Amino acid sequence: MRFSLAAAEGARRHGPFWLSLVAGMALWEIAGRNADAAFLVPLSATLSRLAELAASGVLWQQFASSAALFLSGFALALAVGMPLGLLLARVRTLRVGLEPYIMILYATPMVALIPFILSLMGFGFAPKVLVVFLFAVFPVLYNTIEGARSIRPELIEVARAFRSSERALWFDVMIPYTLPFTMTGVRQGIGRALVGMVAAEFFLSATGLGQLIMVAGQNFDTGGVFAAILVIGLIGVGLMRVGLMLEQHFARWRH
Amino acid sequence: MHAMAPQQTGEARPAVRIRARNLGKRYGALEVFRGIDLDVGDREILSIVGPSGCGKTTLLRCIDGLLATDAGEVLINGEKVTQPIAGVAMVFQHFGLFPWKTVYGNVAYGLKMAGASKAEIAERVPYFIALVGLKGFENAYPYQMSGGMQQRCGLARALAIEPSVLLMDEPFAAVDAQTREILQFELLRIWEQRPTTMLFVTHSIEEAVLMGDRVIVLKGRPASIAETIPVDLPRPRTRETLRAARFAELREQVWSTLLSEARAAEFQLEPAR
Amino acid sequence: MASLDALLAKPAAGAAAPQARLRTGTLVPRLVTGLVIVVAWETLVRALLPAYVAKPSTVLLAVPKTIVDPAFLAATADTLSAVAQGLGIAVVLGTLIGLVIGRSPLADRMLRHYVNGFYAVPMIVILPLVSLWFGYSEATRLVTIVYAAIFSIIVNVADGARAVPRDYIEVAQAFRSGRLRALFEIVLPSATPYFLAGIRLATGRALIGALVAEFFTAIGGLGYFILYMSRTFRHDEAFVGVALLAAFGIGIDALVAWATRRFLPWYRREERSS
Repeated sequence: MRFSLAAAEGARRHGPFWLSLVAGMALWEIAGRNADAAFLVPLSATLSRLAELAASGVLWQQFASSAALFLSGFALALAVGMPLGLLLARVRTLRVGLEPYIMILYATPMVALIPFILSLMGFGFAPKVLVVFLFAVFPVLYNTIEGARSIRPELIEVARAFRSSERALWFDVMIPYTLPFTMTGVRQGIGRALVGMVAAEFFLSATGLGQLIMVAGQNFDTGGVFAAILVIGLIGVGLMRVGLMLEQHFARWRH
Repeated sequence: MHAMAPQQTGEARPAVRIRARNLGKRYGALEVFRGIDLDVGDREILSIVGPSGCGKTTLLRCIDGLLATDAGEVLINGEKVTQPIAGVAMVFQHFGLFPWKTVYGNVAYGLKMAGASKAEIAERVPYFIALVGLKGFENAYPYQMSGGMQQRCGLARALAIEPSVLLMDEPFAAVDAQTREILQFELLRIWEQRPTTMLFVTHSIEEAVLMGDRVIVLKGRPASIAETIPVDLPRPRTRETLRAARFAELREQVWSTLLSEARAAEFQLEPAR
Repeated sequence: MASLDALLAKPAAGAAAPQARLRTGTLVPRLVTGLVIVVAWETLVRALLPAYVAKPSTVLLAVPKTIVDPAFLAATADTLSAVAQGLGIAVVLGTLIGLVIGRSPLADRMLRHYVNGFYAVPMIVILPLVSLWFGYSEATRLVTIVYAAIFSIIVNVADGARAVPRDYIEVAQAFRSGRLRALFEIVLPSATPYFLAGIRLATGRALIGALVAEFFTAIGGLGYFILYMSRTFRHDEAFVGVALLAAFGIGIDALVAWATRRFLPWYRREERSS
């Protein structure tokens, strides 16, 4: 009884979603079958092309290449953004001095720097990591500063009243308070880093999933283009999920 | 439990735990208080009452060493205070609980800062959580608790370091009237169990009289001590105390001291409930 | 008692003093830091990098001749008008879709996953596909801009429309307001701050969309100007283009912030989010 109720509730809540998903897939399939194959291929053809790419090993190889780029750039962004953000939050003069410039960089479309990076650093792995880093670091930094500066001064006072050392103040107050904000930055940074990753693969040197798309496009392999977009799209959705989960996990003490 | 529990020893108890001489504090052109002298004896509760904004909270922070004074000096247990010293704990009006820590983590915090070992923390924290009546809420986060429960937790955090001096900064001002009354008697019960020197800042006249062995009335701009009123109500103080004729007399005495200030009405004093 | 507590909850007398110091004390550190950045940049480039690399002194010298260069002006007009057009389309469509999603639970359940999904897809990957469809043309750029911008608007408008407090709707019902009037008098005003926040995000994304489209298709515009100038080792001129883009982004940010303060003085996003 309870089970069937839960099932009915589930159907009511998730029914429209599955319905719309099936409808969307059907629409794609029908439209694809009736369109010029150079412009649109049906879902089935996209999936079979994807299976081919997977079977040949190309997909995995390019995925690994992209993942290495993404992870290196993003790890660097975290390693710089978090400590710097906390430091700026604690050292007021430094923060006041740097804040406007960080704001400017946060608002500047980093993609505009790609031509400079290209002409200065060429086509290697390092310039691409730099691009991913630049895309991701400012959201992390900006949100960490915003978080750390919003610490209620009362809590700092409590720490002082209990004779907290500076080190303990960082580990018991500053970092736990700031983490949820940093995680918001991480979530934003993931999205931006993904754009940076593909931009680096498009505009610096063609590697990874970016290359997969480019090559398919140049060969008028529309099925390959759709397959690659589907893969990157799913990665994007998955990473967003991860970002959201991280954000919620670290924010569980907030209401 | 070395170093943190001096009040248990009994013998070499100093007669004066807190001694302040000629304290003065100003913020730029604004002088907050001046010429404050006070002594608080061992296991004595001294209430400080005054209109809101009169500087009593600032005074308490100066005594704790959280704020620097501009004149005079504070000695706690004979030690000159320039920053918060060991063996002194504070309970805050805003509770000051860390929202990312559970009740257990918050109560353990003061001990951790005092350098207590893991074993000591594991031994003492449950005791103090139970003492303030929060048993069963060890894993609750502050946002899951009412204001009254949050302040119980704040009290446990302060008591856990077994302070020789407790500084209370309007601890019950941010909770509703019923909870406030409950917490007042809880605090009195705990004090009977573990008597300690206490400086109790409040803007409620009734609370000042109920808690204190003496009540200091702060008045004026800059604030100074207008009067010190000894409270000769017997302890343990209970709900009965509130109905005693002597309680009403003392309340009126504090009230009239505060009112004698011509502009008292402007201070929006809380009339005795 | 409650009002007294509220008074006491604020810092006691004299706490205003550090506030004043906060406001006056910012300019000097900012100028000093700015100067340090400029000097460090100048010295580092001079010491380590080739002469064509942008550095403050040469960028400054390049500003007067770049901003009157017809090619630069045409490129700027091209890109910014494309961004404006794309934003316009994204705002109109995005607001409509957002309102529907926000006010209709069925539409929400059916479309939310698509919106979130497309929002999570890095906009840049659609370029090869869009250029298959529209060629290396301005249409490709416009589509990319719309794609880049529209989802932030949909998501924010939907959030805003959803977040209309029930109380307000009840008040409207109690006063026997019609559904359509309630939409215009209650739902839209409550959703406006979210809408503005969406525009802020969308503008940044639209700029990125325009740039990547121009890089990818090599059609004329500020992005292509930057690409071309840096390829031909005229980094200073290219950097003026970057500075203009940054100024545009910051300008829109400031404009939206100003509009929020000016027209929605009742709204405090900081308080809501904390």
